[in-house]
Amino acid sequence: MNRNRWPIVLSVVLVLSLALSACAPAATPTPQPKPTTAAAQPTSAPAQPTTAPAPTQAQQPVELRIVWWGSQDRHDRTIKAINLYMQQHPNVKITYEFVSWADYWTKLATQAAGNNLPDIMQQDYAYIVEYTNRNLILPLDDYVKDGTINLNDTTPAEVNGGRVNGKLVAINLGSNSQCWVIDVDAFNKAGVPIPANDWTWADMERTAMQLHEKLGIYGMGAGLWDEQIWGSLYLSNGEWRYNADGTGIGYASDQPYVDHLKMLLRLQKAGAIVPRAEDVANYFGKSVEAQAIVSRKAAMGYIMSNQIVAVQKAAGEDRNLKLLPLPRLTGGKSANYIKPSQFWSIATTSKHPKEAAQFIDWFTNSIEANQILGAERGVPISSKVRDALKPTLSKAQAEMFDYVAQVSKTAQPIPPADPPGHSDIVGNVLYSEVADPVAYGQITPEQGAAIMRQEVNTILAKNKK
Amino acid sequence: MAGRAESTAVAAGRRGAQILARRTRRRNDRRHNLAGYMFIAPWLIGFFVFTVAPMAASLYLAFTDYDILSTVPRWVGLANFQQMFLRDPRYWKSVQATFYYVMIAVPMRLAFALLVAMLLNTYRRGVSVYRAIYYAPSVVGGSVAVAVMWRQIFGTEGMLNALTRLVGMAPITWLGDPRTAIWTLIALAVWQFGSPMLIFLTGLRQIPSELYEAASIDGAGGADKFFKITLPMLSPVILFNLVMQVISGFMVFTQAFIVTGGAPLDTTLFYALYLYRRGFANFQMGYASAMAWVLLLVVAFFTALVFKSSSYWVFYEAKEEV
Repeated sequence: MNRNRWPIVLSVVLVLSLALSACAPAATPTPQPKPTTAAAQPTSAPAQPTTAPAPTQAQQPVELRIVWWGSQDRHDRTIKAINLYMQQHPNVKITYEFVSWADYWTKLATQAAGNNLPDIMQQDYAYIVEYTNRNLILPLDDYVKDGTINLNDTTPAEVNGGRVNGKLVAINLGSNSQCWVIDVDAFNKAGVPIPANDWTWADMERTAMQLHEKLGIYGMGAGLWDEQIWGSLYLSNGEWRYNADGTGIGYASDQPYVDHLKMLLRLQKAGAIVPRAEDVANYFGKSVEAQAIVSRKAAMGYIMSNQIVAVQKAAGEDRNLKLLPLPRLTGGKSANYIKPSQFWSIATTSKHPKEAAQFIDWFTNSIEANQILGAERGVPISSKVRDALKPTLSKAQAEMFDYVAQVSKTAQPIPPADPPGHSDIVGNVLYSEVADPVAYGQITPEQGAAIMRQEVNTILAKNKK
Repeated sequence: MAGRAESTAVAAGRRGAQILARRTRRRNDRRHNLAGYMFIAPWLIGFFVFTVAPMAASLYLAFTDYDILSTVPRWVGLANFQQMFLRDPRYWKSVQATFYYVMIAVPMRLAFALLVAMLLNTYRRGVSVYRAIYYAPSVVGGSVAVAVMWRQIFGTEGMLNALTRLVGMAPITWLGDPRTAIWTLIALAVWQFGSPMLIFLTGLRQIPSELYEAASIDGAGGADKFFKITLPMLSPVILFNLVMQVISGFMVFTQAFIVTGGAPLDTTLFYALYLYRRGFANFQMGYASAMAWVLLLVVAFFTALVFKSSSYWVFYEAKEEV
């Protein structure tokens, strides 16, 4: 060989060997499942031996990816249900991922940008408009029409939350509503009467103060500075936080919000609610298990009704918890609305939309599945499932069913889905420019409410056509 | 850490390429040239695909409105920069928090690292074990686990408050009080002194012991030796550490992301954290890219400033010999 040629040969060999060694693990077929696949989970271990893979099955093997957010309780239940599904459908292999609410939308958006959305994703009322408008989730009307997804046992009110521009893009996983969860034993111990369902914010303040004085714990937990409460104040007033076309603030007077902020300052000063400083230090970004009522540090808490299942589980089955509607403005209407707690949607990019739809149908209608899921995502929309679950309901589940049934009698119609810019308002205005500066005494409630109005109008002005 | 390793790799790669190129030109042999490029091809491909291309994309996105979900970024010119500088109070809060952190945490970490390095710069038995132990926090330092532990220590129900309760004081919400929150992160930074300490230690080993012996004979005390021998002889190492720490200080993210989340009152909303929020929580990727490029310029400016100032305080032995 020519002496001058050996460096080239050597380098080519080197590069090729590097490239090959880098590719090798990916190139060889890997029969063993990834760590996240359900089959690898210990929960499925007892089921494994009985599910001999059926080679005679004519169906093609199908792999579905599925993601959701939620509490530990939800993860456990959902994984168990998925394992059951795979046991009943040996040709379907489901891989799953789950994260907390805070990380979920980041993950999903990144996957959307990479054209890599999972086949089935949990969706929220706040996001379905955006995902539909960008053509990322599939209309499901055809699957409902041909019976793949059976919605015969539901009412339109339970399904229509998943409609965008007239098309059904998301299947409601359960109905819920915001609520106060109260520790009945603490109330009894303090000798404080349990408030009525049409209680007002003034009642709430008095109750929290009394509980605090009698028991020495917080009367009320954290979270009352959030955007849901801000909206509910105006819902009670027959208004909403944004106007109908999502281009500006939706209410006439700042006074209800100012009064609310002032009340929170009074409660905080008295030590009757978890102060904002402790809220941001300890409860920020944590799931519902971190609520102060769980550890008996507070006698009341603010949650979504489906979360009672996770709260009860974390607090212990011996605790007596009860749900109350949101407080109203004095003389106001109900501040509640019935909300689809979350949805399943199918990605437009899914290679197996039919199989994904079958899974959603099973999740919605299978009594077996829902016994595992335990209505943790809210009251199931199928009346058959509800009836089947009723005799087996736990204390917390029964409380949730009763609560949703009772609230739906007085609840307001569901407000329009949040316009683009909502996450900007919550993330960069509500807490950082209004709630926190007010809570830490940097600005007055009046100034805070004025900033809110001004910034919301600025941000939402971009939505004007 | 990754950025630093990358930049040294970049420098090493470039140096290798230059040497190779010069030699081959001398011999006027194109084949050798090709071989050289083939040898560095794995790195070159990585550099262009994973560094140059994303940077170019980010520069373009800085002038657009891009929400990740839509397929096409919309060109908006300088609007992102206008909003940043003129209409975003949170931006300035993040700048303030970052400068506060860099100005305090970096000098404190360096001073602490030097102190520990001097303590460990002895020849007693078992000192290498101590060195390893003191370096350990930095090995796990950037990791999430340490930040989570920090959160536990400073939490309202945390270790530190267990102590304050023991002595009968009311618990302090370390992470919720705007006066204390950033100091928990500064303490974390100072505690992670390992890598600058290791570099200081090597630097201390380079100082000839004759200098100290001569100074002792002349009657110099410990402080004199430190200020007149150790610091000047160590100044090139201090410069290196300072540059590295200033750069990483401006890019601090993990600690704030996990320990405080930017709260309270945005006092720990570091630049990189706010950038991440805008990009991945509010889906304003164009705005986040614009912020990233401003950060790049600011870091470049301060690095240059440190280098410029070095002629006044860094002592190079080699220079005097010339």
